[in-house]
Amino acid sequence: MTTSTKQKQTTTSRPITITAVVDAVGVLASDSTSGEVYLYDTNKSGGSTGFGTQELKTKVKRGDHLLWTTIALECEAHVAIHGIDIDKTVCEPERKVYPNTDVAYWTGTVKKDIDGAVPYRISFQVGTRNDPITTALSPALVG
Amino acid sequence: MPQQLGIIVLVDTANALAERTLSGNTYWFDNAKLYGSRNQGTENLVTAIHGSYWRDGSQAAEQVLNWLPYSLGSLPPSVPRGYVAERSQCSDEEVLTELESIANGSSAPEAAELERLRKALGKRANAHGRGSRGQKVLDVTGHVVTEVGSEAHSYPPPTITDVFGQAVDEKVIYPAEYGSPDLVTGGWYWAASVDTSRPGTYTYEMRIQLHDLVQRDGEILWEPVNFTCRSSLKITTEPKRNAFTKAGMGYLPIPSLPSQPSTAPAAPAAPAATTEPTASQH
Repeated sequence: MTTSTKQKQTTTSRPITITAVVDAVGVLASDSTSGEVYLYDTNKSGGSTGFGTQELKTKVKRGDHLLWTTIALECEAHVAIHGIDIDKTVCEPERKVYPNTDVAYWTGTVKKDIDGAVPYRISFQVGTRNDPITTALSPALVG
Repeated sequence: MPQQLGIIVLVDTANALAERTLSGNTYWFDNAKLYGSRNQGTENLVTAIHGSYWRDGSQAAEQVLNWLPYSLGSLPPSVPRGYVAERSQCSDEEVLTELESIANGSSAPEAAELERLRKALGKRANAHGRGSRGQKVLDVTGHVVTEVGSEAHSYPPPTITDVFGQAVDEKVIYPAEYGSPDLVTGGWYWAASVDTSRPGTYTYEMRIQLHDLVQRDGEILWEPVNFTCRSSLKITTEPKRNAFTKAGMGYLPIPSLPSQPSTAPAAPAAPAATTEPTASQH
């Protein structure tokens, strides 16, 4: 009989990942992100709301590490984040790549506790479209 | 050529493992929204499948479904398959190179330097029940995890282990696991062909295996945890359409033309055949 000394992973240092699922074909066909982008994060148990909409409200506190990634709904389509427009006194996201790849993610740290909501905009590169396209509605970080 | 439909099952892996349920922790998508799929991005997706019929009522090719399970809050599916193995090997090589330079140096290595190398090496986690050494644990940014238990890690993608339920029992879908030879995005995946001749709404269930990182008796393990979730298909008898030309219900996307008018210029005459010079002409 094995003595079980199972030790659960602590989640204190886990970054909050915000993932945009993008219907690339839908965006290209309608020339809009409206109804074609679904946002989720990993802080549901912490109080985030608005899952599956473009008005995701991610519950954060000062010092939280944030990570933005994308998933293309069509598995062979290209989708990437072009930029994140947010109040720089709250967070300054920067683009990085997974080591040894050209796959990008954006990351930043929440600089202060938020009173209320801080909306932001994400712009995406989709398929072969030259110009980035910005979310029609604003997701937000909330305190 | 059957129509291919992708169904993404996005799992909030950390939350599902913490709550020990997929309920409230899965988000489903397909690429048939324009065909009438409902509840995209929720756990109540109803996938619309148009019966592939020709205009005369005869059945065209069947529909094919492909399920793609992804993990929210882990390495994204756009990094190449085998990425964890590749990163494991890379970190080994980097540390070996540094060790070599230390070994060739004249002075004894400092403890702090060795500690830094130990951290750069990361930790490996074994698959439960297998004797072999596993791959390294990576964090969600693709770097090796040094201290399992205090550092956040990326989970392996969810694994579908079975598709069953009403739609399978009633022989509406025929699911099976297939292997793709694609080196970058390939691997094992579940697909099914659909009998589109029987309209109706059918549920199906899916067994999904997640892996929890645990430490037991000094060993780091990916412990499998099995879950079940449910989705549904709605099969209708819409005739087959050409989505590219939107040409309607015809057999082919070529509009019918009136018979050729008599005033139309005659087709140019075929050029006269050139005759090969023969010996008699000389």
